[in-house]
Amino acid sequence: MKKIIKNPYLHFVLLGLILALVPTLAKMGLMKTSYLTTLGGTFIFAIAALGLNILLGYSGLISLGTAGFMGFAAYLSAYFTADLALPFELSIILAVVIPTLLGILVGLVSLKIEGIYLAIATLAVSEILKKTFEEFDFFTNGFSGKTAQYPTLLGTFELDRAGTYYFVVAILILVMLLTYNLMNGRLGRALNAMRGSEAASQAMGVNLLNHRLIAFALATMYAAIAGVLYVHFVKYSYPTIWSLNLSLNFLAMIVIGGLRSIYGTLLGAFIVFAVPDLLLKQVPFFSDLSYVLNGILIIVVIIFYPNGLVHMFTDLKRFIVKLVKGEK
Amino acid sequence: MSTFIQVILRSLETGSIYALAALSIIIIFRTSNIVNFSQGAVAMFNTFVVTYLFNTMGINIWLAALGGIVSAILIGILIDLVVIRHTKKVHPEAKQIITLGMIMIVLGIAPLIFGVDPLRLPRLIEQGNLSILGADISYNGIFNILFGLLVMGGLFVILQKTKIGLAIRSTASNEHTAKLMGVPTKTVTMGAWAVAGVLGVISGVMTAPMTSVTLHIMDDVQLNALIAVVLGGFQTFYGPVVGAYIIGVGRNLLLYYGSSVWGGQILYILILVFLVFRPHGLFGKKIIKKV
Repeated sequence: MKKIIKNPYLHFVLLGLILALVPTLAKMGLMKTSYLTTLGGTFIFAIAALGLNILLGYSGLISLGTAGFMGFAAYLSAYFTADLALPFELSIILAVVIPTLLGILVGLVSLKIEGIYLAIATLAVSEILKKTFEEFDFFTNGFSGKTAQYPTLLGTFELDRAGTYYFVVAILILVMLLTYNLMNGRLGRALNAMRGSEAASQAMGVNLLNHRLIAFALATMYAAIAGVLYVHFVKYSYPTIWSLNLSLNFLAMIVIGGLRSIYGTLLGAFIVFAVPDLLLKQVPFFSDLSYVLNGILIIVVIIFYPNGLVHMFTDLKRFIVKLVKGEK
Repeated sequence: MSTFIQVILRSLETGSIYALAALSIIIIFRTSNIVNFSQGAVAMFNTFVVTYLFNTMGINIWLAALGGIVSAILIGILIDLVVIRHTKKVHPEAKQIITLGMIMIVLGIAPLIFGVDPLRLPRLIEQGNLSILGADISYNGIFNILFGLLVMGGLFVILQKTKIGLAIRSTASNEHTAKLMGVPTKTVTMGAWAVAGVLGVISGVMTAPMTSVTLHIMDDVQLNALIAVVLGGFQTFYGPVVGAYIIGVGRNLLLYYGSSVWGGQILYILILVFLVFRPHGLFGKKIIKKV
């Protein structure tokens, strides 16, 4: 029994079931329906942030192109489903594979050297992509923005907003499971060893370039998945969405939430995206400051609490246990 | 021929803007070991200060620019005292993320103080054109080129010939040893942030008349400066400056003779390809790591 309760896979599925309750709660009037859009958006951003967390948390590389790749996938998917009328399943595969291949190409160029090069190379690539979004009218509809529809699964099931929300939650849980498995498997061990000592891991037969490349490809793939979900959930895409600001927000999420933590990433996404929308908007002055608060939070967390806020709960528990025991 | 000279002259002007920004990034990198992504954002903020002093308070443009320089020094010192000084134990990657956090803070605060409307900042020298071999360049353009070279030349003389420069170079080469030798590394780092801020605002004031003063006025300069640093290599002070002029000239030539829409983008791709063959940049050396 204890074994079943402690099973991490079960935790992910349970979390998924709880998150899937939201539309029902909204229907019962316990929650505003607008929360559905906010939460769905948060989960989509959490998917992209998970990929970045593999890259930054495990291999210490910074990508500033997350938003660019995400936008690229979003436009591709919108183009495939709306203009070419491809089935949703095919377009999602194409829209994930093409940006990932582009990511691998960029990685091959910039990952030979460690350190900051990937950040600057991805920054340049995302600028190039943003320009593409603005200039290629037939593909992206330029500044006026591209619209897309809710997904139609298997050609017959037309999803509405709640249906798409369930779809997003399902993908989120799948991505979390995949990440958990990868990071506790061979790849995770190799990346961990690289973080500990590059020379030692190299001596043990870990190919540095290959593993960095895999980590970056995963980050791009997750960003692409998030981009596809975004365009079909929010139903539009403008060039201005996919800016450096969004990429910075992804970094904020994982740093605030917790590096190398799957739940931390979700917590971070919630703090960065949902809290300003759900809470701060009620207070007029703070709504303007949410970006500033995120920036301050990043700096404060890095300096004083480098493991991220997700460890707050365990630290708090330990503190309380200590207090209780101390009183005895 | 005259158009070619015209293009080159323009390029030198943008090149000196990029070079000032690149120098500002490399000074921070060498003394604090941080790639300062917030350089452009802070420069944008200080350019807004200049614009505010000129437009709202009606101060003479030269005095307003001086005010911007003062604010750049103060903000640079503030960043060092409040944030950077406390990051000695922080992991190097986390330091870059701190500067990304600073971008968010600046981008959030600037519209609260200065509003969201694009503002206009005139040239330092309003009128006058000079004709060189059939190519026209404004006095302001010449001033920008010469002033940029003067500031950079001055900094290099200080770096190479004076005691202060020696302190900066020794901090850059090994902070711990420098400290043991009695170099006040904390002051050096603080000074570096102040100087970097000043270089930023100068490049901002030079950029402003070509466009309008908005939150994103320095984005383009910042990106090109970062790429210039990569192109020139992180190991020398002069490498990024050379890289910046190469980017300035190459970009304008591509924009004029190549594609007016995609010129900049083509240049980025060329530089990325160049880095495949020389990963440490034009003047960079490979640092051999010992286990």
